[in-house]
Amino acid sequence: MTKKTKRVLLITFACVLAAILVAAILAPSVEKEETIQEAMSDAVLHESNRISLFGLEVNPGLISAFVITGILFIACLIIRIFVIPKFTLIPNKFQAALEKLVDLFGGVARDNSPHRPNVLSAYIFVAGTYIFFSTIFELFGIQAVTTKGHPISLPAPLSDINGAIAMGCTTYLFIMCGGIVANKMKGLANTLKDFSLPISMSFRLFGALLSGLLVTELVYYVQFLSIGLPVIVGVLFTLLHALIQTYVLIMLASLFYGEATEPHVKKSRKGKKNKQ
Amino acid sequence: MPLNIDWKQILLHLFNFVLLFAILFFLLYRPVKKFMDKRVQYYKDMDDDANKKLADAEELKQTYEEKLSVVDEEIAQKKQDADLLAVKERQEAMDRAEKEAAEIVSRAKVEGEAEKKKIVDGAQAEIVGLVAKAYKKAASDPSAAMDVFLSEANEGKNE
Repeated sequence: MTKKTKRVLLITFACVLAAILVAAILAPSVEKEETIQEAMSDAVLHESNRISLFGLEVNPGLISAFVITGILFIACLIIRIFVIPKFTLIPNKFQAALEKLVDLFGGVARDNSPHRPNVLSAYIFVAGTYIFFSTIFELFGIQAVTTKGHPISLPAPLSDINGAIAMGCTTYLFIMCGGIVANKMKGLANTLKDFSLPISMSFRLFGALLSGLLVTELVYYVQFLSIGLPVIVGVLFTLLHALIQTYVLIMLASLFYGEATEPHVKKSRKGKKNKQ
Repeated sequence: MPLNIDWKQILLHLFNFVLLFAILFFLLYRPVKKFMDKRVQYYKDMDDDANKKLADAEELKQTYEEKLSVVDEEIAQKKQDADLLAVKERQEAMDRAEKEAAEIVSRAKVEGEAEKKKIVDGAQAEIVGLVAKAYKKAASDPSAAMDVFLSEANEGKNE
């Protein structure tokens, strides 16, 4: 490609971009169906914008969750069929990335729960992957139609309080099961002691993801802010959120799991008597 | 419920998560982990094998060193034995030689003595003969007898 051709292509691209921008500004806006208060309230409560799932009215977050599961299923299936059988002792870049990902979660599990790292490693791998992909999912703005016929972009599943509660409670149950398997009743008591954990986990996730969603809603609500700014907002409140929330949840799960499954050492009475 | 919390949706989220767990675990996590473990095992086996071979080599070296030290000892012992044997044989040879020399000397002495005796006896007999002859001649012609005696005596001296 010559320099002249490159220049022509660049100018054409800039003109098209400018034309789209001008058209977007000049085009008559659709009258807003809801005020900013209603939009924010709905982002939190999902009372008005609901989607029909086989006749059942559900929050958009649940649809997002199923879509993410579907996408991940297809991706995993492709990797399982076409990539994993071709694994070699000296890995290529993609294989190295996959192994690094598995090893990363394995390392966190080994560090925080040295007595029972295997199950924890698998759990935090799945939970981490889910939280990361479900958070960046809102970047793609996949559209769905509400029961009222309004188009909405699907939000992150964990910005739905029900999704966050499910995630928090599942993690708590997982920690409890690990505690029971490792230490029987002592493990159960150890986990029940932290009864606030599912609530704190759920609402931490919900709050963190919701804050990102609300800021994004605010930015998109005003038309002139939606030029250029979403790139920064998207990066700040989505990509960083995805990484931070994944890290926070897997670290919390690992720490509490490690504590619950730590072997219980009985203190000898002789030692106590000697001390007295 | 406050905050639009809906148990049905929570359970649906839970169902979705369990489904996702199964998918990610069986299709991605387990095969990758299995492969990684297999590779670790492969290199561990290789390492163990190398260590075993090294240990075997060390053991073999130790055995050979022991054998070599034994062989050295054996060589030294054999050398000592050979030296002793050589000394003994030399001593025997010397003894034998001395004995032979002594025998030769004694035999020579005996023979010498015998020869001496034989010569002396011969000389005595000759003298007796000469004396007898001289006596006979002297009895017949005492001056001629004296001449013959002297000439024969001189011949005998020259011989």
